[in-house]
Amino acid sequence: MQREADTRVNHQKKSSNAPRFSVALYVTCLVDLFRPSVAFDSIALLEQAGCKVSVPSRQSCCGQPTYNTGDYDSTIPLAQQVIEAFEFADYVVVPSGSCAGMITHHYPKLLEGQWRERALALAAKTFELTTFLAEIAEMHVPIDDGTRLPSVTYHDSCAGLRELGIKAQPRELLKNLRNTEVTELSQTEVCCGFGGTFCAKMPELSGKMASDKLDSALATEAEILAGGDMGCLMNIAGRAQRLGKTIEVRHVAELLAGDLSKPAIGEGKS
Amino acid sequence: MSNIPEEQGSAAFLGNVRDSLLETDKVKRRDMLGLFMPLVRDAAVDQFDQFQDLRKQVKGVKQHTLDNLHHYLSQFESEALDNGNQVHFARDSSEMNSIVLGICQSHRAQRVVKGKSMVTEETHLLHHLQRAGLSVVETDLGEYIIQQANETPSHIVGPALHKSADEIRELFLKKHDLGERELEGPTEMVAEARSVLREHFLSADVGIIGANALIAENGYSMLVTNEGNGDLCANLPKVMIVCTTLDRIVPRASDAMAALRLLVRSATGQPITCYTSFYSGPRREQDVDGPIETHFVLLDNKRSDILASDYREMLQCIRCGACLNHCPIYIGVGGHAYGSVYMGPMGSVLTPLLDSLEEAQALPDACTACGRCEEVCPSSIPLPDLLRDLRHEKNREKLTPSRWRLGMKTHAWLLARPRLYHTLSGIGIPVLAWLGRKKGSFKSLMLANGWTDQRDFPAPQGKTFMQQYAAQRKANNGSR
Amino acid sequence: MAQDSARTELMGKLQRACQNAQPARIYAELNSLGEAPSPTLPASSLCEAFLINVLKNQGTVACTSNRSEAVKAVAEHLHSRFRTRKLVAGNDPRLAAMPWRDGAVLPRFGAAEHGENASLSYACMGIAETGSIVTYTGKSNPAANNLLVEDHIVLVDTATLVATLDDAWTQINKDQQESGRPRGINFISGPSSTADIEAQLVKGAHGPRSWHVILLGEIPEDALSNARNATEA
Repeated sequence: MQREADTRVNHQKKSSNAPRFSVALYVTCLVDLFRPSVAFDSIALLEQAGCKVSVPSRQSCCGQPTYNTGDYDSTIPLAQQVIEAFEFADYVVVPSGSCAGMITHHYPKLLEGQWRERALALAAKTFELTTFLAEIAEMHVPIDDGTRLPSVTYHDSCAGLRELGIKAQPRELLKNLRNTEVTELSQTEVCCGFGGTFCAKMPELSGKMASDKLDSALATEAEILAGGDMGCLMNIAGRAQRLGKTIEVRHVAELLAGDLSKPAIGEGKS
Repeated sequence: MSNIPEEQGSAAFLGNVRDSLLETDKVKRRDMLGLFMPLVRDAAVDQFDQFQDLRKQVKGVKQHTLDNLHHYLSQFESEALDNGNQVHFARDSSEMNSIVLGICQSHRAQRVVKGKSMVTEETHLLHHLQRAGLSVVETDLGEYIIQQANETPSHIVGPALHKSADEIRELFLKKHDLGERELEGPTEMVAEARSVLREHFLSADVGIIGANALIAENGYSMLVTNEGNGDLCANLPKVMIVCTTLDRIVPRASDAMAALRLLVRSATGQPITCYTSFYSGPRREQDVDGPIETHFVLLDNKRSDILASDYREMLQCIRCGACLNHCPIYIGVGGHAYGSVYMGPMGSVLTPLLDSLEEAQALPDACTACGRCEEVCPSSIPLPDLLRDLRHEKNREKLTPSRWRLGMKTHAWLLARPRLYHTLSGIGIPVLAWLGRKKGSFKSLMLANGWTDQRDFPAPQGKTFMQQYAAQRKANNGSR
Repeated sequence: MAQDSARTELMGKLQRACQNAQPARIYAELNSLGEAPSPTLPASSLCEAFLINVLKNQGTVACTSNRSEAVKAVAEHLHSRFRTRKLVAGNDPRLAAMPWRDGAVLPRFGAAEHGENASLSYACMGIAETGSIVTYTGKSNPAANNLLVEDHIVLVDTATLVATLDDAWTQINKDQQESGRPRGINFISGPSSTADIEAQLVKGAHGPRSWHVILLGEIPEDALSNARNATEA
């Protein structure tokens, strides 16, 4: 337990009372490598919601890529690693529907015996970011920091939508915290074509699906396409760059935190 | 006798995917199907207050039936025999085909009319009978169209939905003696097929149909159609043959009704089809019509193996086609790309089990794990899980290419060592970020050509989160 | 012999894959799984719910309170569709006893032949849940009468209306205790139709192009107008 205690950093505002929740942030590998600002924004939001946030250092990837390619043997140690690093926490929050779904839905399927019990215990306290903010922390007071969001459309990532029922939560948060109404995509239930290794195994088909998603995003005339999963967002942003289409693609945490200063996903510093 | 359409085989799937995306008109029609079919299904489901309870009840009964399939199949057999049928068992396709041909030959039959049946597609019965010199006509309009075009079904419910009305008009102009008639729209084409097929119904010696359910408690088979073609096959010829599989068994008529409620809403968005018929056997003493002799031919073709395997849930499938209509892969590439009788998510599970994983190894990869199929599956089959389990098997049997297997293994090895992983990513990621800082993304990237084939690769923002966080923590501690 | 061995082999494989409990235990487990829910009917009156669903199934309807009116409704339909007084009907005693003269209808009793315009069936029952009519094959309603004609006209007694598909089977099972299992049981829920060409609905695929249901008996006064309003909206 010594190790976890060491890594906890007190981000609380000096004025606030004792934290309402103690939360361990599971950063996810894509956020860690490609978009650290999403993790910082997540921490900021959680703290505003009255959480004390820690970031266990023994974390890497939840094991989705190996799991989805069918390499269960290599995934088991990764699942056990996540369980060991996070089971101390009261709550585990993940800025990704698919990684949260991996932990809550698939670890218990993958593991057996004692490990399965531990996986179920972890699953019970693991939440995707917007679900945690909206339903557990009940964050609904507008954030008055002078940021005004441009028009937004929202991509519901499949795992979040269907495994975790994430649909209303990000929309409510955008409405309550940022007074922003989402302009809906047509066929919002349809996959963007990312699918982990699928996008590399069947590139043409994946490209077609990303184009379809991009077309419906452009049809909304929204300036920003937001979502809760870096995989989908990098896929759609990468496709937009390739086709020369302009729409800002951003993680919903950036919008909620009012953090629009950094270039959007896949865009350079202009 | 027509030629046998060439079997593509699911091995060619990846090439078929590429080709099918180039057929612009077909892509558009498939996109329409992918938009339209979920809407009609959702509307029908929304009108049924307790749809999820219904799903749960049917799943429970299905699982119970499979757990006790030996009992219920024996019961069905005994009831069907009591009803005056002959009951045949076929281990595989060739046995089913020989049994059916044998029945036809024993009656010196020349003409056979067929209702829609995926099981007979699976055994290629049509061609078997044709090779033996029989005239066999598919009577479901969609099946009739693809028989004329010498193609295979592209969808398990709507076999000819890949064809445009223009293509069908051309086909009829070529195959039928139309004189001056031009067959303007679908209405005229349907009328044309009706008049041609009516002659076949009236002159047929044998009618072959499938079954949507076999009711164990009373030996009736259930047949669900909108056209009524199956009923014409079942009632007009002197001999009726029901070709189906063991997994159609349900214990009671009420279970068939529950499955019917799910089936039709999931397939076409209707509460019921125009014709839902139950047939028990040959004509009774006082009857004035109906077949004189009736047969059930029950095909196994590996169902009993599937029953004993971890893929048992696949036998809960009621062939509604909802998973096809909701699958982005199926909608993207169409049914023919799969190169097998069954397509879409249910086909990608079933084909490797019925053929072999080796031959069908591309199919379990035809999935983004989006989960929409499982969400709409009336039988609650965990299709994405089954597909992933097949990938697991592929991986274990080393059917997955070694660059993928070893790549994943190495990746996982590194991930299981977070300290080393953070050190390495802390070196690599900032370099990548620096390289991509101006444009923000890469047109091509070593080791990511699958990705950059279709899309740019977004560059990292800078240092990794873990690096930045550690630095921040250090600074905070220092300033304290 | 090959078939016997196929049966033995298959049953053996199933036995190995199954639980093989005693039948009493199997049925106890089956019964413990409860009954499947049925959809809520669109109206509280069975007549109205049935009429609504028949209309949704692309059927046409007429409501009559006695047999004389029913014959007139048949005559009216025959005249408007074919300018004829002829139809074919099964050897059903209930049909034989209809006052045909009241509508000047000329029935031929027997099985329908290819080329005949219209047939008349007396349904065993009507199902409100699905707007279906039920017939049993046999002398009283040869299967051809449901299938070979252009128009299928069906008389449904309000007394035989049932709410759900399950209720229909309860009645079917009762009927079978008296007269055995009919060869065929047909639930008909609309004219023959197809959507196999570009998913466009076309009526008259192989069987009847039109399906006319005449409800006969005590019918709430506003049932038909309510049903029309409900389906037009």
